[in-house]
Parts: sequence; C-alpha cells; structure tokens
Amino acid sequence: MERLRAVLFRGRRRHELDEELRFHLDRDAEARVRRGIPPAEARREAALALGGVDQVKELVDDASGVRPLADLLADLRFGARALRRNPGLTATIIVVLGLAIGATTAVFAVVNGVLLSQLPYPHPDRLVRIFNQNSPDNRWGLSVADYLAIRDQQRVFDAVGLLRTANMALTTPGGEPEQVLAGRVTPGVMSALGLRPAAGRLLAKDDESPAAAPVAVVSHHVAETRFGGATAAVNQSIMLDGLSYAVVGVLPAGVTDLMGIEAAVWPAMRVSTPPRRGPFGLAGIARLREGVSVDDAARDLAGISERIFPVWQSSFPDRSARFVPMNLRESLVGGTARPLRLLAAAVLLVLLVAIANIATLALVRISAREHELATRARLGASRLRLLRLVVTENLLAVLLAGVAGLGLAAAALRLAGALLPRLPRVGEVALDGRAVAFAALATVVAALLVSMAPAAAVLQGRLLASRVDGRRASAGRRANAVRSALVAAEFMLALPLLATAALLGRSFLNLQQVSPGFDPSHAFTIAVSLPEARYADSADGGRPTTADFWQRALQRAREAPGVVSAALTTSLPPNNGGDVNNFNLLDHPVPPGGNEPVAPWSGVSTDYFETLGVPLLDGRLFTASDTANGTPVAIVSRAWAARHFPGRTVLGQEFVSGGCTTCPPTVIVGVVGDVKYLGLAGSGEGMYAPAAQEVPRSAQLVIRTATPPASAMGPVITALRSLDPALPLAGRTLDDRLRTELSAPGRWTILLGAFAAVALALAALGIFGLMSYLVRRQRREIGVRMALGAEPAAVARMIVRRGMRCVAPGLAGGVLLMLLAARWTESLLYGVAPRDPATIVAVTAVLLASAVAACLLPGARAARIRPAEAIASE
Amino acid sequence: MPDAADLLPGTLELLVLKALSLTPMHGWGIAQRIDQLSGEVFRVQQGSLYPALQRMLRRGWVRSEWRVTEHNRRARYYLITAAGRRQLEAETVNWERTSAAVNGILRVRLADL
Repeated sequence: MERLRAVLFRGRRRHELDEELRFHLDRDAEARVRRGIPPAEARREAALALGGVDQVKELVDDASGVRPLADLLADLRFGARALRRNPGLTATIIVVLGLAIGATTAVFAVVNGVLLSQLPYPHPDRLVRIFNQNSPDNRWGLSVADYLAIRDQQRVFDAVGLLRTANMALTTPGGEPEQVLAGRVTPGVMSALGLRPAAGRLLAKDDESPAAAPVAVVSHHVAETRFGGATAAVNQSIMLDGLSYAVVGVLPAGVTDLMGIEAAVWPAMRVSTPPRRGPFGLAGIARLREGVSVDDAARDLAGISERIFPVWQSSFPDRSARFVPMNLRESLVGGTARPLRLLAAAVLLVLLVAIANIATLALVRISAREHELATRARLGASRLRLLRLVVTENLLAVLLAGVAGLGLAAAALRLAGALLPRLPRVGEVALDGRAVAFAALATVVAALLVSMAPAAAVLQGRLLASRVDGRRASAGRRANAVRSALVAAEFMLALPLLATAALLGRSFLNLQQVSPGFDPSHAFTIAVSLPEARYADSADGGRPTTADFWQRALQRAREAPGVVSAALTTSLPPNNGGDVNNFNLLDHPVPPGGNEPVAPWSGVSTDYFETLGVPLLDGRLFTASDTANGTPVAIVSRAWAARHFPGRTVLGQEFVSGGCTTCPPTVIVGVVGDVKYLGLAGSGEGMYAPAAQEVPRSAQLVIRTATPPASAMGPVITALRSLDPALPLAGRTLDDRLRTELSAPGRWTILLGAFAAVALALAALGIFGLMSYLVRRQRREIGVRMALGAEPAAVARMIVRRGMRCVAPGLAGGVLLMLLAARWTESLLYGVAPRDPATIVAVTAVLLASAVAACLLPGARAARIRPAEAIASE
Repeated sequence: MPDAADLLPGTLELLVLKALSLTPMHGWGIAQRIDQLSGEVFRVQQGSLYPALQRMLRRGWVRSEWRVTEHNRRARYYLITAAGRRQLEAETVNWERTSAAVNGILRVRLADL
C-alpha cells in the first residue's frame, strides 16, 4: 500500500517530506541554541548535520523507489529534476542534438524519398526504361520503328510501352481552352506500370492500332475540374490541338505522372510502321517478366538491334547502336544520387560530432558529481541504481532532443523546396513512418553513445572508490583520456566536412568564372515543336513544310520591336546538348569495333553564332548557299579542333556522322569559340550543321534584343502566334537559363557549408568546454605552479598547448579521412582536385586556429588564478 | 570530536525499531534517542535516517501519522507496527546469536583449540 501511495501521491509526499525536514531542522537548531550556540550558527550546524536537504530528499526518493514501474517513474522524476537543476546543460543537449537529429532526419527523408523508396508501382524493380546507345556517354530515346520492333520481337517483357509528351491545347465542351502537358502513350505504358483506373478503363491493346478511334485517359484532376468527377468524365469527349478524343477512363487521384513524366491528359498513341527509323527521343518503358534479369533483357534487346539494322540501314546507318534496358529508378534518379549521398554523409558526420560534443559534456558533468554519487554509493545505492540515475538523466535530455529534432525535420522539409536543388521524385519526400523510425533510431543511438562514457565511469567503480570526505578522486586520468579522445574525434569528423565544403565552394567559384561561351545578356529563347499533323518534313502539296515555318518565324521575330537578330538551333547552352552525335574522322578513323567519338551536335540557322555572340575563329560561318542540295558542311568548336586535330588545321577535314558508312562525308568549314552545351563543367566541344541541310521539327528560337529581353518577349510571341495560334509558346531569358544552371551547385555548396560551419562550431565548443573544465578542476595545481614562480603567460600557454595535444591527433585523423573520402567528391568538383593540398592545409589551419582561439579563454582564466586563493580553497 | 563508529549495515533499522517500540516519535526525536541510547558510541548520519524510515514504511514495519507536538507544532510521528515488532524480535534474536558467536570467536585462545 505504501508503495502505491508513494507512486500515486507523489506530490503530497514531497510536500510532507519538506515539512518533516523543516521540522527536523527547527528542532535541531533549537536544541543547539539551548546548549548556548548562537541562533545563526545553530541553524548552520543543524543543516550540516542533516547533510543537505536536497540530498536527503533524493535519497528518500530512492528509498521509496517502487520497483519496477515506480522505479522508472522515480528515475524519470530524478532525471527531470537533474535537468531542471542544470538548465544550461539541458538546453545545450536539446539544441545541439535536436538540430543534428532534425537535420539528419530531414536529409534522410529526402534521401529516402528520392533514392531509397520504391516507385509507387507493383514490383517496381521489374520496370526498365529502354534507350538507344552507341557509346557509354551517348544514349537517346526510342523511335516508333524501334518500339514496333521491340514490341513484336521481344521475349523478356510482360509489357512494352512508348511515351512522348507535348504541350497541347485542351478544350472541353463549354470550357476555356487551356495549354496542358499531354502524354501520348501506347497502352503498354499503363499495363507495364500496373495502374488501375479510378473510373472507366485504361488504354487497351487495340487503342494503339492505326485504325483505332482516338481515345484518351485523363488525370483525376482534369476529370474533377472539367467534368465534376471521375465517373462523370468517362465517355465524354475532349479536344486536343483541335482533334477530338473520347475519354475512356480516369487515373487514380494523386497520379500526376507516369514513370516520372508529368502530364494532365494521356491520349493513346496510334502507331504504324513509319517510312524511316527516326525520329527518336520517345521514352520506352517495359516490365520484365518474372525471373528475367536486366542482363537477360539486354541480350534479348541486343539481338533485336542486330536484326532490325539491315531493315533501316538507309535511314539509320549506325551499326554500333543497341537497345539497352536501364532500371527505371536508376534512370529517374540519375545524377542526383551522388550529391545526395554526399549530403547524407555530411549530415551524419554533423550528427556524430554533435554526439561526441554532448558525450564530452556528459562526462564533464558526471565528474562534477563524483562526490554526490559516491555519497549515494556509500548510503547503499547499488551500482545498477547509480547507473540508472546517470543514464536516465542523459536519456531524458536526448529524448527531448529527439522530439525537438523531429519537429525541426518537419519544418525543414516544408522549406526543402527553397533549400534544396531541384530533385527528381521530390513528391515522394515526406516525414513518413520510415523517417520517424529513423529519427527514433538516431535518438536511441545518440542516447546510448552519450550515456556510454558516464555509464562506463560508474561501472568501473571509480566513483565508488572515491572518498566521501570531499577529497578529489584520483581516477581522473582515464576519464581525461576518454574526454580528449571525444574532442579529437570531433575535430577528426569536422575536417573532411569543412574540406569538402571548401572544395565545393572553390568548385562553385570556378564554375561561376567559366565562360559559357555566349553572351547571355539581352537574349531570350522560345522552344517550338511543330506537330506532324500540321507540318510536313518535305513539300506534299497539303501541309506547309517545317522549313517554311522556321523561315517565316525567324522573319516575324526579326521584325518585332526591340529585336536585333533571331536564329534557330536544336541545342541550347548551357545544358541542352540536343543530339549528341557520334562521328568518324576520315583522317584517322576508329578501328572496327571501337567506339566512335561523340560531341554535342546542333543544327543551326545562318545567324546563330552572331545572335548568341559566339566568335568565328577560323574559316567561315554558314551561308544561305549551304542548302540541302549542297555539300554537307560543318563548323566545329576550338576545343573540338584541339582534341581531334591538335596542332593542325581542321578546315577541309572530313568526317561521317551517325555511324553512316555510305553517306557523303561532311566537310569542316569553320572553327568557332567554345560553347558549353553539357553543363558549365562540360568540355566546350561542339559540332554544328546548317539547319537547312537537316530541318528540325523541334528547335529553339534564340532572339537577341536591344531592349530588356523580358519586354521584347511579348511582341515576338504575338508575332509567332499570328503564324500558328495553336502552338504552345513560352519565352525564357538566357540569363535565367544560366542562373538555373548555377543554382544546383550553389545550393549544394551552401547546404554543405552550413553543415561544415556547425561541425566547426561544435568542435571549437568541445575543446573550449574540455579546457575550461580542466582549468576549473586543476585550479589548485595551477595555483601551486604559480606560487612556485610560473608566469601567468606561461600558464596560459600551457593550457593552449594541452588543448593542442588533444586536437592534433584528431586533425591528423581528419586529413587521413579526407584523403580516403576523396573519390566520393571527385565527380562533383570542377577545376579543383578532391585531394587539393592547398585546401586541406587551409582547412587544417582554420580548425587549428579555431581550436587555439577556443583554448585562449580558459588559458586566460588559468593565468588569472591567484595562487593563495586556489591553494586555500581546497 | 572523536570519530564515532559507523553503523554496521542494517543496524540502523534495528535501532530505529527499538526506539519506536518504546514510544512513537518524530524523525528528530529518533535521531536524538539513538544517540542517547547508544551512549554516543554510534552516530546516526541524520541524512540517512529519513531514507531508512522510508524503506521501513515501505516494508510495513512502521507507519506514520501527523500529530501535534507538546510545543504545538505539526510533526510526522512514526509508530511501530505489528510487523515491525515481529521484525524487531527476529532481528534481536538474530543479533544476539550473531554477537554471541562473534564474541565467542573473539575470546578464543590458542589453548582452547
């Protein structure tokens, strides 16, 4: 009964105990007064005899400890009290670990959503994208001819599909026309993904036959907004670019993309055998049959590539090209994986530094409590009990930090859009069960690591061995070693973080210095895609030709107010390589079976170079006489010339492109400045062919203006609309494109820099805390030294030296870690080596300097110790 | 002050039970009584008295109630329970046996062996 009361009426008991002890002290003091002791002195003696009201209260609490639930409650209560008594330490633990756990959890949620989590389709590991590939660096999409061959000949897939998106004008009965993304798909895309309709049906096998009636599946959002609901939309009709489609079904709510490609409506793609193999660039997807590996599929696809080559040789002469399968998730995540992994590693390092930091604090604190714990041990508390006392207190604080961290992670994820670069699959990022579980795990690990050192101190019995009478325990040596090791570890972990941030920063600065090869000011671009339904590749009497449209579009653009010049290109710097083409130089051809070299390949109009501000260095630019009937000509960039014809002139050199062995060779007629098409870190190699010799269907208009480009955009778009009101058109300045290209490395750098700064601050705080503690603890010893004639300056130097002895091995370890981790960062850096000695030296110096600075204050405090006071105080 | 002997483990409870078996007392009174009874040979660490009382409450050897002292102040009095008396008896017997045995050993001379 007493136990239960102890648990249930804790508050009342606490109150009663207060009163009881007050009564005791009063009586004791009165008794002493009666013996002739002055009242004030009597009260002091009474308190001394009782031995500290708080101590007694704790001991009574321990004694009432009601196992096991109540013991836990008691522990927690005790822990809470210990935390309240030491708000500074508590706040430090919660802030430092809370921030670290929060950041780690947020990054985990992102990594989990982007890299780890499964795609939202059944058996997602069996989904593959299919590409064409003719060298490890050159991969491109499928054509309709490719799709038909794969669909009819494959033996490894359950389903194969083809997808291509386009901007289309969507009209519904009684609704406003609206530009939407439309994804033309074959039925195989939906069956490969294993989707189920929210209403109606998905596309069926027959929907892709050339004779089928035009049908479409719409997104749940379109069904809601246009027809008032999923069921209501079925069997309605919609107009896309002026053609009517019957809505046969609606996708489930929340499905806004198929395999990462977004669209609002999904009209069925009707496929018939085309006259030539191209054009390429369509997304191929397939579901592997159960038990079939990606390698099996690769072999099957390679066989198909071989078989169809003779059929299409005249329109596609590249024998080396193969269909290759690639895991869908890999193809979606692509280049983001590396920087994300680096970020994850960085945030884990920060967490470890934070844990080491708090563990040091916990150790310092346990040492400060040796006396109290020894008293408890003497009064009968078992080691287990002491262990629980010590550990509960830390656990409680770390637990609070974990909760704070979880809240922080939730807030950080809401800001993730602003903090992080654009990521694929970012819709999957959420603080879900796995993220919460991760936070819990991080908290538990942190709690264990933080409690380990104090627990070890108790278990080794050092505290029990120390005397109650207030003399200092002599067990400090081992504890000091642990503390020093923890601080060293902080520096060891902080160094690679700081160095990597510095390298990324330098790489970013280098990127900013890179000349993109063109003049981005006063220019904008408009992407135009001409639908086959309305534009013919060559004059057929009915439809206008693509060449015709481009010519008139350029003419209209030039006439618009503020426009200086206008040009056409199939690729656009800094990040749109257009077609990356393979070629073979007649001067030194690739041996049979070897991989042909590749380079970004642009079809451009005659005034492209002037419009973009690319200088002509040698030879000539394209002219109006470079027509489809003339000799095939090309212009190359300086970097291309330097790579393939070092020290020689390239003018007049000849090559065949696209793997063609029977085509007439192309002659190089000019050399222009380097333009970055494959990112600013790319090489600047490039090849240009006249757009007139190979007229594109999709291209970018580049327009240079005299006035600010934003103001010239509107009139140009209006002028183009007058040519074809149904074309979806949107302009974007070149400045904006360039800024976007720099924003991702900029953001990675800022994020990593922030983590590194935190690690640096924590490490400095760690050494500061340790040295302050040592100075406090060795006051007497320092006093003796000074009494024996040590100069204050020498004492301060001694403290700093001692700090350095602790930091130095950490820094050495950190450099080693940095050297080992270099290959992680290599592919993310531009213009600076991952083991750049100057950076490593500079970062080591910064850490060393901050460590010295952190030791100066405790050093100064040591120097101010007055020998007489220090010696007398003990 | 000459060092007073530390209590043997477990002895404090025995002394408290003995003191309470004479009359109900409050904590300070118990401390005084033990000092007095033991002729100041033992010094009760006052700080350890209250945890000991708490343990004994838990074991049901004593119970407590709030009473008014002769000086008209509220104080918590401890009373020995029936279980406490049994415990006192058992411990007393136990103690006597132990001390007799220890005394016997201490008095042994070589000639007796």
